[in-house]
Amino acid sequence: MTEWIRYTLPAAAIAAAASPGYAMQYLSIEEAQKQAFPSATHFSEVQAGRVWKAEAGGRAIGFFIFDRVVGKHLYIDYAVALTPSGAVHNVEILQYRESYGGEVRSPGWLAQFAGKTSASPLKVNGDIRNIAGATLSSLHVTEGVKRVLATYAGRLK
Amino acid sequence: MPAASNRIRRARPLLGTFVEIEAAGPVTSRVNQAIDAAFESVASVHRLMSFHDADSDVSRINREAFDRPVKVHESTFAVLKASVELYRQSNGLFDITVAPVLQRMGLLPRYDDEATADRRTSGAIELLEGQMIRFRERHVKIDLGGIAKGFAVDEALRVLQSSGAVECAIANAGGDLAAFGAEPQAIDIRHPRDPSRIVGHAKISNEALASTARRFDPFRSAETTGSAIIGPGRAPLDNAIDGVTVRAASCMIADALTKIVMISGTGSAGLLELYRANALVILPDSVQISPDWQHAVHLAA
Repeated sequence: MTEWIRYTLPAAAIAAAASPGYAMQYLSIEEAQKQAFPSATHFSEVQAGRVWKAEAGGRAIGFFIFDRVVGKHLYIDYAVALTPSGAVHNVEILQYRESYGGEVRSPGWLAQFAGKTSASPLKVNGDIRNIAGATLSSLHVTEGVKRVLATYAGRLK
Repeated sequence: MPAASNRIRRARPLLGTFVEIEAAGPVTSRVNQAIDAAFESVASVHRLMSFHDADSDVSRINREAFDRPVKVHESTFAVLKASVELYRQSNGLFDITVAPVLQRMGLLPRYDDEATADRRTSGAIELLEGQMIRFRERHVKIDLGGIAKGFAVDEALRVLQSSGAVECAIANAGGDLAAFGAEPQAIDIRHPRDPSRIVGHAKISNEALASTARRFDPFRSAETTGSAIIGPGRAPLDNAIDGVTVRAASCMIADALTKIVMISGTGSAGLLELYRANALVILPDSVQISPDWQHAVHLAA
């Protein structure tokens, strides 16, 4: 075949294929803790259900913070792993829920947290780009990380 | 993916979106290590090719490449080489020197009181021996946002595959994805005007699929709010295309080709053939599928 083929989209398909909701469970809190700090021997709860200190041989090797932001419509659970000095070690999505289904397509790109500290200007259009409404969900995680840093980075010892 | 092995699915916020990696292999801990390494390779592409990070290769090139040749990482060099090639093959439709226009549109930040060139200048990019880049003209500015995400997906998949711990995997950066493994993977394609509406699915096997679309905000209006894709003459798009999905061997090529197909639609047939790629074009009430791809695309009944 050498021609493009054109198909008319039947109006009926629109309603029939509509998906009611979507939730993706990636990691449990325990799994995410292990991922963030593979060498940790113990996680002690600093704030119930929210903040843990990762320890190895009785020494603090970092902090693990569970948080939740609203994505496009529903909650996104995520975790921020901090180094002992309060810099972002990594950010992992634990659970993603959207009423639309599927991941949100983003025409833009950028948003990297590793090495950010509470002094970094973690802001939209500055070092992290806000390109379109479709990036809303990842944008909210960006804001969440910023809030987590502001709240905990200086206080955890 | 094989049921006998352990399947793991994780996501991180990277590249301005959620990057999801799904991988399966016999030993869970080794699969997780491979996924960690794959995420790290995506983060590394980000650090090299970010327009915003002052220390990135892209920022160093934008600052210095007219004054002197700038040495870049082999990854950056590979992406620039592919970009210049795509610029030539597409008669200028794919143009990484579009950054000044995006800056004026508010889609990229401006720094200081920088002067900017206002025409297509990818022809002014010189690729030199030893991974060196030089601009032949002053005020050239590049942005790799139209291709680097695809490259990052290819890198993630390469890391997963070379780990030896993973039998099959999919890496998905907000809709730009690639897969490897024995089993073909079915990927749903959504309608840009209504994310709950599935147009159909495409089967891919050891290849990549990338999508791009106009921006729609269902809270405001059913009409498009524009596009980050700049058409010929640096004007916004004036065709009826809502979105496109491209299949290619690599995600970098698929990612870049989506921009060209978004601009020229079925007129991109020759270029798709050259890159051994296929496309699905979504219009308000119909879809068009490029030659020889109908067998792998299954439209919703």
